[in-house]
Amino acid sequence: MAETLSALLKAPGVAGFDEVSYDDKERLFEQVNTDMRFEDYLYGCYECGICVAVCPSARFYDFSPRRIAQAVAREDVELVYQQMEEDIWECSQCFSCVRCPRANNPGGIILIMREVAINNGMASAKQALEGYSRIIYKIMSTGTQVSPDMLQPDAFPDWGPEVKDVSDNLDLWRRMLPPETMHTTSMSWEVADKTLVELYLIWFETGALDMIKQVDEGLHMILEELMEERLEEMGIER
Amino acid sequence: MPSDTVVIIGGGPGGLEVARGVAELGTRAVIVEKAAFLGGTPIAENYAALTPNFESAEVAMGRMIDRVAANPLAEVRLESQVTACEGEVGDFRLTVTGPDGESTLECGSIVVATGFQHFDPGRETQMYGYYEYPDVIALQDLEAMLKDHNVVRPSNGKPPERICFVQCVGSRDRHIGNEYCSKVCCGVASKEAIEVRQQLPDCKVFIFYIDMRMYGYWENQIYWPAQEEHHVQYVKGIITEVLPKGDKLLVRGEDTTMGRPMEVPMDIVVLSVGMEPSLGTREMAKVLGIAQNKYGFIDAANPPLDTVSTSREGIFACGAALAPADLEDTVSTAGAAAMRAVVTVRAGAGAAAK
Amino acid sequence: MSIPVAALLKKKEKFERDPERLPEDFREEVFRLEEEGEWIVDRVPEPFVEAPTKYGRTKKVPMGGLWHHKSCGQCGHIPGYSTSIFWVMRKLQQDYNDPRDQTSCTAWNYYASATSNAAAQAAVAMRNFAAAKETGYFPLIHCGTSYGHYKEVREELLLHPQLRAEVREVLAKLGKAMVMPEEIVHYSEWFWAMRHEIAAKQVINVDNIVATVHPACHYYKLVEGDAIYDPDVYGGQRTAIVTGLAEALGAEVRSYSTWFDCCGFGFRHILVQRDFTRSFATMRKIEVMKEEANPDVVLTHDTGCVTTLDKSQFAAQAHGRNVGVPVMSEAQFAALAMGAHPYKVCQLHWHSADYRPLLEKMGIDWEAAWAEFQVDLKRLERGEIEFLTWEDVDA
Repeated sequence: MAETLSALLKAPGVAGFDEVSYDDKERLFEQVNTDMRFEDYLYGCYECGICVAVCPSARFYDFSPRRIAQAVAREDVELVYQQMEEDIWECSQCFSCVRCPRANNPGGIILIMREVAINNGMASAKQALEGYSRIIYKIMSTGTQVSPDMLQPDAFPDWGPEVKDVSDNLDLWRRMLPPETMHTTSMSWEVADKTLVELYLIWFETGALDMIKQVDEGLHMILEELMEERLEEMGIER
Repeated sequence: MPSDTVVIIGGGPGGLEVARGVAELGTRAVIVEKAAFLGGTPIAENYAALTPNFESAEVAMGRMIDRVAANPLAEVRLESQVTACEGEVGDFRLTVTGPDGESTLECGSIVVATGFQHFDPGRETQMYGYYEYPDVIALQDLEAMLKDHNVVRPSNGKPPERICFVQCVGSRDRHIGNEYCSKVCCGVASKEAIEVRQQLPDCKVFIFYIDMRMYGYWENQIYWPAQEEHHVQYVKGIITEVLPKGDKLLVRGEDTTMGRPMEVPMDIVVLSVGMEPSLGTREMAKVLGIAQNKYGFIDAANPPLDTVSTSREGIFACGAALAPADLEDTVSTAGAAAMRAVVTVRAGAGAAAK
Repeated sequence: MSIPVAALLKKKEKFERDPERLPEDFREEVFRLEEEGEWIVDRVPEPFVEAPTKYGRTKKVPMGGLWHHKSCGQCGHIPGYSTSIFWVMRKLQQDYNDPRDQTSCTAWNYYASATSNAAAQAAVAMRNFAAAKETGYFPLIHCGTSYGHYKEVREELLLHPQLRAEVREVLAKLGKAMVMPEEIVHYSEWFWAMRHEIAAKQVINVDNIVATVHPACHYYKLVEGDAIYDPDVYGGQRTAIVTGLAEALGAEVRSYSTWFDCCGFGFRHILVQRDFTRSFATMRKIEVMKEEANPDVVLTHDTGCVTTLDKSQFAAQAHGRNVGVPVMSEAQFAALAMGAHPYKVCQLHWHSADYRPLLEKMGIDWEAAWAEFQVDLKRLERGEIEFLTWEDVDA
C-alpha cells in the first residue's frame, strides 16, 4: 500500500496516530454528522475566514475553525479524525465564530466532535482532560462548578497571593458574606439536598454520567456510588 | 376604457430606456419620477465613471435623458409619485401626486423601474463602524469623492496612503437575510480601485474578498488590469472588524492564503455595500398589488425565460427593481419590458376596436 | 471640507433603523408551543422596562420579583460580585428570591470538557426554570455563560421536538413541569434598565474615573439578536451593556482596538491550560487597554471575564508585562458609587489586581474600611455574630 514516500510517512503508526481503521474513523464521523444539532451548526462554507479572524485560539495555536468546518463539510473522514485527535480541545468555546455569514457554528461543531471523542474514549480526549477530574467531581456532585475551598495556593499559584489569604481565612471570610445562601465553603452557594438529587437523576437519565466512564473510570465509580446512595436515601427509584 | 399609454414608474437608466423604446415604437410613454431630476441612482449618488468602460456617469445618463426629451411621444413628470392604482390590464387608472396636487393618469400597461438602494451598513452583522468612524465609508461615498477628484480621509482631509475595500457587505449573509450576491460590487470596487490608483499613485489599495466575481468580459476589462497595470492587491479573506488604533483604522480578517489571522492598518475602509430594493420598489409593490420575493424585490413571475413579467397582467418590471443588476442587465430588461408593454397596449386597443 | 466629504459625514451622523425591517421573533414560537401544550410560558412580571435589542425588536426587562439564578464562579471565587447584585437590588427596594433550589447551569463544565450532552444541558436549564416558576419569581441570570447557554438551549428546544420530548420525560420523573421564560434576562440587563434609578442613589462622584468595558462573548455573540443595543450608546452599533450604566454614573468610558476580542477564559484553558488564558488576557486585552486608554478600572459583566482579566495579571506582572489595572463587575462599581462598603459588600479582598488606587481616586478610605471589616471579623471570630448580615451593610 505504501508505494510512495509520502504515503509511508502518513501511514498510521509512522505519523504518530493510533492504529485506527478507516471504518472506525468513518463511524466516528457519522456520529458527528448525525447528531441532532448538526444540521443547525453546519450549512455551507465559502471560506471567508471570518471565523478565524475572530477566534482567540487561532492567535495562539495552529488552530482554524475554518479548516474544521471545511473538513466536516467535505466529509473528509481522515482529516476530521486528525482534528478530533489534535485540534478540537484548543477551541475556547467563545462562539465568536457564529458571526459566520452562512450561520455556521464551528464552535458548536467542535462541541459535537468533543462529545463524540468522549463517548468513544479517545485517548486525546482523556489527555485534554487530565487534571480536570476534580472539577467534574465538583460540578456533578454539588451542582456548582468551582467552590471556595478550591482556592488553594498550590492549585492556583499564578493567581497571586490573595489565593493564600482566602484559603487561610476561608471559613471566616465566607461568613462575612451578607447573602444568606453563600456561607458555604464546599460549594458556591447552599444547594438544597432535594435539588442535588434532581440533578443526579438528570445525569443518570440523560446518559451524561455514562460519559464520565470513558474519561475516568475511577471517578465514574465514585460518582455513581455517591449518587445512587443519595437517591436511595430519598427513596427515589431510577 | 382602454388606454394607449405606457406609464413608467422611475426615471433612472431603466425607466429612461423603457420610455425611449416605447416612444420609438410609436406609443405614448409617461415617466413618473419621485426626484426633481432624471438619471436615477448614478446621478443621485454622484457616481464618477461607469463600470466597465469608465464613461462618465453624468455624460452617459445625460445622453439617455436627451434622447427621451427629444421624442414628442415621451412625457416626464418630476417630483411625482404614484399613490393609488385602480383598474386592470389595458385600463389602469393611476393617482399621481405631484407638485400641483393629485391627478389621474390612465394607461394600458405599467413598467416598474424603481431600482435599488444601497445596503445600509448600520444593519451589518460584522463590526465595521460605519456610523462610528469618519474614515469608514461606502462605495457610493467614494464615487462622489472620485467624481470630485478629491479623495481624502474624511477625518483629517488628507489624502490616504492605504485604502482597502471590503466586499460582500450586506450580501450573501444569512443573518442579515440578503442571501444573494449583489453582482456589481466586485466590478465596481475594482473600477474604483483603479481610479484611486490613477488619482493617487502613491496610495496602496487592497481588496478583501470572499470570491472575486467579474463575469464575462469584465474579467479582463477590469480584474486583470487592476492587478497587472494598477497593482491593486487582492487578498482572499473578508474583514470582520474595523477599530481605530492611533490615527489609523485597524482591519481584522484572515489571510486565508497564509491561513492565519491578520490585522493591518488602513487610512480609509470602503465597504462594498450590496443592493436592496429601494423604498420606491417596496412602495410600488404595495400600491400596484404586485408580488415581491422574500428579499422585497419585485418577483419575476416566470423566470428564467421571462424576465420582466410580474404577478399582475399588464404590469412589468425592469432593472434593479427585480434583483441586483448592472447597467447592461438594466437596459436589456428595460428593452424587453418596453416591448411587452407596447404589445399589451396594442392588444387592448385591438380588443376595444372589436 | 469638500462637498462630498461634508455630505457623507452628515449621512453617517446617525443610523436610522427602518421600522419595517424586523427579524423573525422567536417569542412567537415560544408562545405557539404554549398553545400546543408543550410548555408553560413564565411571563415577565410587571413593571418591566422595554429594552431595544440588536435588530430592532424590544425585550422586556423586569424591575422586580426576580429569582436570582446564581453563578458558581461568582459565588465561589468572587463573592463580592453576587453580593453587590443583591445589595443594589435591595437598595432599590426590589423584592427578590435567593433560592437554594438552584443548580449551576453546568455550562462551564460543558464548554470545558463536553462531559455532558444536549439533553442533560437542556434538562438542567428547564429544571431551574421550573423551580423559579414554583416560587412565583422570574429568573434573573447572573452569569454571562449561563445566559448565553440558556439562549442556546432555548433555540435547540424551539427547533427540535424530540429534544423537548426527552426533556419532558426527564422532568416528569422529577415531578417538574415544562416551563420556558418569556425572556431570558441577564442581571446586567437589569442594571442597564435601572441605570437612572441607580445613578439617582449615587453618593460618590466618578466623573474623574476612566473605565474600559469588556463585553462578554456569551452575552452578545451567542444568539446575538437577544442583546441590548441602545441608540444612545455607541449609536446603537455596539452593545450598550455595561457602558450604558457606566456613562449614566458619569464615568468616562474609553474604547480600545481589541474591544470585540474574547477575554481568553476558554472554560477548560483557565483551569488546566492557563498559559493560553493568561497570555491572551494580557496581550490582547489588558496591555491594549492600558496602552490605548489608560483606564482606572476595567468593567465587565461576566464571571469568566472578571476572573480571567483579574487573575491573569499577577503572573504577567512577574514577566514585566504592562499590566496592573483593577477588574470588577459593573455591579461592584455601581455599588461603590452608591456608597457600598468595599470589603463588606464588594469583597474586593478576593480580587487579585490592585484596586486601592481606584478606591483612592474615588475618595474611598480603604484603610479605614479594612479596619471596619476587621472589627466585624473579630466579632465573628469571638462568636458574637454568626454571619455578616444585610443590616450590617445598610441594606
